[in-house]
Amino acid sequence: MPGAPGPFEQVYADHVVGIYRFIFARVGNRPDAEDLTAQVFIRAVEHLDTAREPRQITAWLYRVAQNAIADHWRAFYRLPLVGMEQVAPGWEPADGDGRPALPPDDSSLARVHALLGRLPDRYRRVLELRFLQRMSVAETATAMGITSGNAKVLQYRALRRAALLEEGRHG
Amino acid sequence: MDDERLPGDDRAEEFERYLAALTGGERPSPEHVEDGDEAEMARLAAEIAGSAPGTDVGPDPAFVEQLRLRMRVADDGLAAVLVPPPVRAAPIEPAGRSRWRISRRHLLRGGLGAAAGLAAGAVGMSLAPRSQQPSLGGGGELVSGEGFWQEVARVPDLPDGAAIRFTTTAFDGFVVNDAGDIHALSSVCSHMGCTLQFRPEWSDLRCPCHGASFDLSGRLANGRRTWRENPYRGDAAAYPIELPDLVRPRVKVDGDRILVWTAQA
Repeated sequence: MPGAPGPFEQVYADHVVGIYRFIFARVGNRPDAEDLTAQVFIRAVEHLDTAREPRQITAWLYRVAQNAIADHWRAFYRLPLVGMEQVAPGWEPADGDGRPALPPDDSSLARVHALLGRLPDRYRRVLELRFLQRMSVAETATAMGITSGNAKVLQYRALRRAALLEEGRHG
Repeated sequence: MDDERLPGDDRAEEFERYLAALTGGERPSPEHVEDGDEAEMARLAAEIAGSAPGTDVGPDPAFVEQLRLRMRVADDGLAAVLVPPPVRAAPIEPAGRSRWRISRRHLLRGGLGAAAGLAAGAVGMSLAPRSQQPSLGGGGELVSGEGFWQEVARVPDLPDGAAIRFTTTAFDGFVVNDAGDIHALSSVCSHMGCTLQFRPEWSDLRCPCHGASFDLSGRLANGRRTWRENPYRGDAAAYPIELPDLVRPRVKVDGDRILVWTAQA
């Protein structure tokens, strides 16, 4: 094995954690995040010119990640296309001068908290327990003093309401 | 709990199956998501789950290391292309293109998968011009070079839908009977190089690492992108990315004998 990393390994070492986190924040589970991360770097091997400026390389990688996330969600939607802004908010493409944007900051966390904050108490509570504290349905139901069946309905309604709020904000 | 039933409440049970996979750290499948509204709900749930404290610790070190090896192979492969190895003499191609042309995808595919499944010589010889390559079908474009035919199974042992594992000095794979068509497939997953497992009940080759399911033609069967058009019949969850077909080494059937081409080590 060579001592000094080659160009692809160097690009990989510099970006794998950031790209993984970017993707994980948008797909929410490890197997998908790993596969999509691998996809980004495989595309890099196929298409990325490692002689480009570091800033351009970073921008390229995040754009590919964004596309991979959009592809991932396309299978879930009936509609053939998912808008980029919708699936990976917080990422701006290159500006007018053609200068690539910086990698996205971790704005998804702030977005999630803002969204939860706009929900009625019980809706926010069920989502916090279930997804932030990673409780099972039974644990969530117990914590809220309701049946498991009620908890499933409550989380479904909460997500539906959240989706409506998001829709209102975008469109 | 609001007392009144709302439209959509009857979907809560089914939708929970998506959420259970998501929060259980498994790969959620689109099959539990009914329409665009639910897709939006699924996406928001994923985003909330993805922001949970403790989940932002970063990727699994084993995953990072495995992918790093692939990058290293790509670097090595690129160096090999820049300095072509002394391959056997080949006729000059009539028109323009360099005969050392090789796709990066090929390099990558020849990376982990080929390293695990093939003699190194066969990979190097893939730099030979296309016109010299025997047709292998499927995703494989590997040149055989020097080698011999090795018997790996017998026809009566291989009914329709069956697969038999074989190992030669050069290759690790399965011979399969795909609706009467007998051919061989690499046992190396075209994603990260894990060893595939044949499951007779589904007639598929399943990857234990990330759950890819290949049909007996060597194509990814549970790809998420094609899920809605070609519903997948097995039990694996939807696979998020497209993968190259499995490599197909050459096979011939001589009477009852099934022989696989084996490159000289």
